[in-house]
Amino acid sequence: MKLRDVVIGANASIYYKLNFKKIKGVYYPRVEQDVLAAIAHAQQNGLTVTPKGGGSGLSGACTGGNDERIMISTLQMKEILSVSKDQGYIDVQPGITPDKINEFLTPMGLRFFVAPSSRDVATVGGVLSTDGGGNDTWINGTMRDNTIRVKMILYDGRSLTVDSKGVKSNDLGLEENLNKKGMTIHDVANSHGTLGFITELRLLIRPTVKEALMGGLTEFPDCNVLGKALQNMIEKKIKINYGEAITEAHPDVREDLKPPLHVIEFPVELESEVREIVDFRRLDSKELARMKDVRVKLPKRNPKVGIQVALFEDYGFYDTSLIKLQDGIDTINALLIEHGMTPFAKYGHGPSKWYSGDNSPTYGLILHSREIKPEGKQSQDVYDTVLAIVDICDELKVTPKPEHKWPFSDEVKKKRLEEIRAVIGRGFNPFLLSPECNDILGSMV
Amino acid sequence: MSYDKCVRCGSCLQFCPMFDATGEEQFSPRGKAYLLQVMDQIEDDKELAKEFRRLLFECSLCGRCEETCSSGVDLLKVWHEQRAKAIETHPEEFAYLEPLKDALANVKNIYGLAAEDRAIYWLDELEDDIPGLADRVYEKGKTTENIIFLGCLMSFRGSQIDVLRSLFQTLEKLEIDYLVMGAEENCCGHPLYLMGNEKGAQELREHNKKVIKAAGAKRVISCCPGCLIQLREHHNLEGVETLHHTQFFDRLLDETKKHDQKEEFSYHDPCELHRILKIKTEPRSLIRKMGIEFKEMDLSCCGGGGLLRMTDPNLSDKIIQLRVAREGVKNTTVITACPSCREQLLGQDLKTKDIVELLSETLDGGAN
Ligand SMILES: Cc1cc2nc3c(=O)[nH]c(=O)nc-3n(C[C@H](O)[C@H](O)[C@H](O)COP(=O)(O)OP(=O)(O)OC[C@H]3O[C@@H](n4cnc5c(N)ncnc54)[C@H](O)[C@@H]3O)c2cc1C
Ligand code: SF4
Ligand code: SF4
Repeated sequence: MKLRDVVIGANASIYYKLNFKKIKGVYYPRVEQDVLAAIAHAQQNGLTVTPKGGGSGLSGACTGGNDERIMISTLQMKEILSVSKDQGYIDVQPGITPDKINEFLTPMGLRFFVAPSSRDVATVGGVLSTDGGGNDTWINGTMRDNTIRVKMILYDGRSLTVDSKGVKSNDLGLEENLNKKGMTIHDVANSHGTLGFITELRLLIRPTVKEALMGGLTEFPDCNVLGKALQNMIEKKIKINYGEAITEAHPDVREDLKPPLHVIEFPVELESEVREIVDFRRLDSKELARMKDVRVKLPKRNPKVGIQVALFEDYGFYDTSLIKLQDGIDTINALLIEHGMTPFAKYGHGPSKWYSGDNSPTYGLILHSREIKPEGKQSQDVYDTVLAIVDICDELKVTPKPEHKWPFSDEVKKKRLEEIRAVIGRGFNPFLLSPECNDILGSMV
Repeated sequence: MSYDKCVRCGSCLQFCPMFDATGEEQFSPRGKAYLLQVMDQIEDDKELAKEFRRLLFECSLCGRCEETCSSGVDLLKVWHEQRAKAIETHPEEFAYLEPLKDALANVKNIYGLAAEDRAIYWLDELEDDIPGLADRVYEKGKTTENIIFLGCLMSFRGSQIDVLRSLFQTLEKLEIDYLVMGAEENCCGHPLYLMGNEKGAQELREHNKKVIKAAGAKRVISCCPGCLIQLREHHNLEGVETLHHTQFFDRLLDETKKHDQKEEFSYHDPCELHRILKIKTEPRSLIRKMGIEFKEMDLSCCGGGGLLRMTDPNLSDKIIQLRVAREGVKNTTVITACPSCREQLLGQDLKTKDIVELLSETLDGGAN
């Protein structure tokens, strides 16, 4: 074993104590040929394959669990392959980040409109595999809405091109089979590396329209009022270009913020419509930039004593759970405290959009959460807390059903992935769909 | 432990020159912080532990990771502490650093050359150009307002002579009261500090401190950001101002003549100057006062810091080569303000000038 085999485990989730001996090879391919060679090695040696992007995912999916496996990182597949201004697309390798794409497009007056807070490190291959989105998902959609097609390599080395209509492959039998199953880009979205290795993506790009925008900040007496305001915005389909809520922040990182609060940016002409819903205070461009910066850094900041962890990513509050946002948060916090965790911060995109396992869109607030883990807390206790959160979210109808980032508790998505894997093979990231997934993750906290 | 605070978000990856040059995570700050977090699982494996110790020295200590990190991980402190621990517990793995340590212990410079020769080479070279320069060398009993701390590179390396000439010519032209520490100067201790050897560094500093005090200097001026870190942060020089030469000249000169610019310039800002010492405005202000147009290079490392030239010269070369290719500076003259960066740039056959060379040309009424 070498350090490169150990360090591939570095990822932002709480699941980072891997059994490194099970990692039988680490690859940093630059081109498709390198990927094919790595996968062939895995196949010949009966190893599974785990793709890894930026490792910023919070679900532990990029760890590969406890299988004897190879890990393929996309960190060296970060080229822009071609761009068509007229047809509105850019072809890229999977390891490039949204920030790098936009650095390239900005001088051309174009933009790729997917902006997770982790856009400096999350790779487009990873973002599609988690169907990520950011503060503008409400108007620009999630990653799947901005992906025209992907090329993938399967466990047996065959390749696919998948778009919103179906599948193409040089293996016509495979193409027919998958098209019979109705496989589309929706299936690749949020598949957490369980299908194949994405080697190329064609992404939607659009001109940046110069709009006069207004920034605003609203502080709320409690989160139920905030939730109702968000529900109102959703019902009235108000074009909020940027919407971020902070529902709580520990004194160590709160600075002058007074949560619950909501920061928005929207077209100037919508001011009166927005005012009908929230009595916001206008933010000048400097204040708005500061709030955006505070928000981007919040997930990474630490308390003065102890360290923060992300137990559960993406509470999806929608419909009734959104209107009862405060009640939901109180219940979750009570559970956290009961398990010895200190709620540290909750913040997230709203209004926002995400997809359920049956591919229908849901609209609401995607709330991220960080907790302070007490010293000496046992891994199993921590993981039990996660499982308790999953249960309570089910009761509260909080986490979008099926959950946004948790394929292993998303029965509809799981079933669908299994259906496709029955055709294409099960060599990629099998632990996520195995009955032991919870135990495996629990052991890695 | 501060590395426990690393949330492994990955934001520092893209900024680390080691990761950029190698493309593999173990060289990245997240990778190394992660290795520390899981050390209990791997330290029994002797080979892995050894590999980790080597990895700690494959870092230019440029500080870019710490600057990027929003989670409050004191990465530079972590790297320093871990380096110290590695050398202390496994000195045999760092035998190649012994000659350097011996040189610093015996002759107080990194080259192992005679201590009294510290002011010989450049004096021989420059005495004709700058009459009376020998009188500017500090000896017991002499006092001055400004004392110049040249550091080892500038005292001994022929490649630095043009910078020295410009520095002294400028000081003379501006009629500054100054002395050069000369043979009474010890290495500032920076190389030992980069190895985590605080005790050895402290011994060198003590002598410098005495000399600066005896000279009655109000100011210590250095062209070397590494020396300046030591002088400012670790020499404990009460009541003595420590300045980079660009700060000194920028404060002194409200305006200058305009530089007769005949070439394209780019500016490489030394990491230790802007990121660690936070000296950002004065070098640029001075260049602008001379009316020089220049292109800012990426605020990234040249690969010459953190002892990397000794610990992994190939990696050090690769870092600067990547930058040269990427930033299209081959046909420009790269302005900088650090002797160590200068060496890196010269190593790639790049044209380079220290800011004080430009200043000297400007005061002379035009570029050569
Ligand atoms: C500070 C912080 C802020 C965040 N903010 C947001 C946010 O605002 N919105 C949001 O949606 N998420 C957010 N996240 C979560 C995370 O950034 C996303 O899940 C992101 O999409 C993961 O991308 P990645 O490249 O890091 O993928 P990884 O974490 O490396 O992998 C994620 C999954 O994708 C698979 N995968 C990666 N590359 C490929 C490939 N080429 N082929 C097949 N499968 C692949 C992996 O196997 C794994 O299952 C945040 C995370 C952090 C740490
Ligand atoms: S930026 Fe800080 S918290 Fe993030 S991976 Fe790097 S060291 Fe860790
Ligand atoms: S100090 Fe510089 S070289 Fe070292 S890990 Fe940090 S960014 Fe990389």
